[in-house]
Amino acid sequence: MTHLQMAIWSLPILLVLIFLRMPIGLAMLLVGFTGSWLVYGDVAPLLNQMKSITYSQFSVHSLSIVPLFLLMGQFASLGGISQALFKAAEAFLGHRRGGVGMAAIGACAGFGSICGSSLATAATMGQVSLPELRRQGYNGGFAAGTLAAGGTLGILIPPSIVLVIYAMLAEQNIGKLFTAAMVPGILAALGYMVVIAIVARVRPDWVGRTMPKMPWGERLKALGAIWPVLTIFLIVIGGINFGIFTPTEGAAVGVVATGILAWLKGGLNKKLLLESFEITAAGTAMIFMIVLGAAAFNNFMALSQLPMELAAWVGDKGWSPFGVLFAIIVFYLIAGCFLDSLSMILLTIPIFFPMISALDFYGLGLEEKAIWFGILTLIVVEVGLITPPVGMNLFVIQSMAPGVPMKDIFRGVLPFVISDLIRTAVLVAFPAISLTLLRWIG
Amino acid sequence: MSHLIYTLARALTWLGALILAAISVLSVVSIVGRALTRFGLSPVPGDFELVEVGTALAVFCFLPWAHLKGGHAFVDILWGKYSLSMKRALTIAFDALMLLVWALLTWRLFHGMVDYRAAGEETFILHLPIWWAYAGCVALSTLGLVIYVWRLLESLGLAKPPAGFALASGGH
Repeated sequence: MTHLQMAIWSLPILLVLIFLRMPIGLAMLLVGFTGSWLVYGDVAPLLNQMKSITYSQFSVHSLSIVPLFLLMGQFASLGGISQALFKAAEAFLGHRRGGVGMAAIGACAGFGSICGSSLATAATMGQVSLPELRRQGYNGGFAAGTLAAGGTLGILIPPSIVLVIYAMLAEQNIGKLFTAAMVPGILAALGYMVVIAIVARVRPDWVGRTMPKMPWGERLKALGAIWPVLTIFLIVIGGINFGIFTPTEGAAVGVVATGILAWLKGGLNKKLLLESFEITAAGTAMIFMIVLGAAAFNNFMALSQLPMELAAWVGDKGWSPFGVLFAIIVFYLIAGCFLDSLSMILLTIPIFFPMISALDFYGLGLEEKAIWFGILTLIVVEVGLITPPVGMNLFVIQSMAPGVPMKDIFRGVLPFVISDLIRTAVLVAFPAISLTLLRWIG
Repeated sequence: MSHLIYTLARALTWLGALILAAISVLSVVSIVGRALTRFGLSPVPGDFELVEVGTALAVFCFLPWAHLKGGHAFVDILWGKYSLSMKRALTIAFDALMLLVWALLTWRLFHGMVDYRAAGEETFILHLPIWWAYAGCVALSTLGLVIYVWRLLESLGLAKPPAGFALASGGH
């Protein structure tokens, strides 16, 4: 069997293990190690690689953002921010049909503006919104799907870990990417609210009760309670945009700022603090186990040359630019069902970005094309967080809703996936949506 | 005994989170120092190296906890269709494989440490021996190994989690 065939065959094997409910990180580690061993034809290089794989994967500088943002999210929730965000959004939207669900989306968008991790957003807002949605009588799967989709606003609305990594790989300016992501991020939040409004009419049994309409005085009071979110957003995003600190440092600033906030609000009692440490630990470990598995698996893929062969094959076809872009998007959507976003981007951008750079789209300049493609990548990769079988956000939410079977969550998140696909098509058709704000500002 | 194991796993998560808090404060001090260089302050030298080491140590603190509470990501879409004995067999097999992989990685990490020590390699700025960071990770990884063994004993039915644990972990 050639190395290429091994790589192709490893994919169904990986799937079988995953469907047997083997932890995904473990499955990727086992398949990756075994595949590398077969390609090397000798165990010695593999044993050598294992000496440093754990430490080198766990000490990647840009990945230290992950636990920092998770800890920041925990502090933010102890500081009552997530609660205040949800209450504020509910004050404005709660009286509409499906309004409590829309409020959950709005609150996720607010939290996403101070949080660069979709998992942390899903986890934090899920803790606040999920019990409330269930209490209001929302269908378990749809409530979980709403929060899983809402969680993706954590990376769609800047700051965003995925954009930081794209910026690094494509050698683009992080601040400009953040600016370009603003309008598409807001569109995403609005799109999700539209989904809930439609579902509320098509499947009224999925949504629960509505809240009484709030007078404007109450609404403004609720809005006033979320000033810390705005302050932290301005400090962290402003600091990164103006080059005062790196994104990782921005995350550290966020941890300290939310920590102080939680302390001022009296949320830092011993029991809650230790509990928040344990949640940070569980979330971090879950992600890094997958990062580790992806590293082993990607190493095997790289050794087998499958990614390179694939890139060459696509290049030889002489397709139209939009044909190639379409193929890339479809590839991301399919691969996103199985791979996590970080390793997917790390593996593919070095192949896809030169391909896109060489093609002509609407006569865009190189930088604008790079930024536009970055935003598209961000969105399609994010879809992978909410598509089965390996949608990380779904797992985060499921861990908070133990009574809800995974297949109900898959069904509940489907309308949001459709909204994502429509938005992707719109952003491909109209690059100006991503680029106009950037052209005005800079 | 089970109480001891769970306390150990919990204590490790607290240690890891404190490390994260410490590297956050360190980064902020460094940013303030950099912003105020004209007043004689300076950034913390090698701050990003410490962030990297700290993150690695924290992750090693966190992994056993996630495994102990069954917190790793998995796909359970077909799980409900399996028979009870198949579920039991799969749980035992995967916990055994996890233990095996972890033991393998701990063993290799130890040799990684020995290599770095022999090579005398240091970090760029602070000139900290890299094997120190590895030594910390080997220690944590070995502690983790005890917890991985315990988890296998639990799935084999030879050990039980302390009372109330399932409740405490299911809530968040």
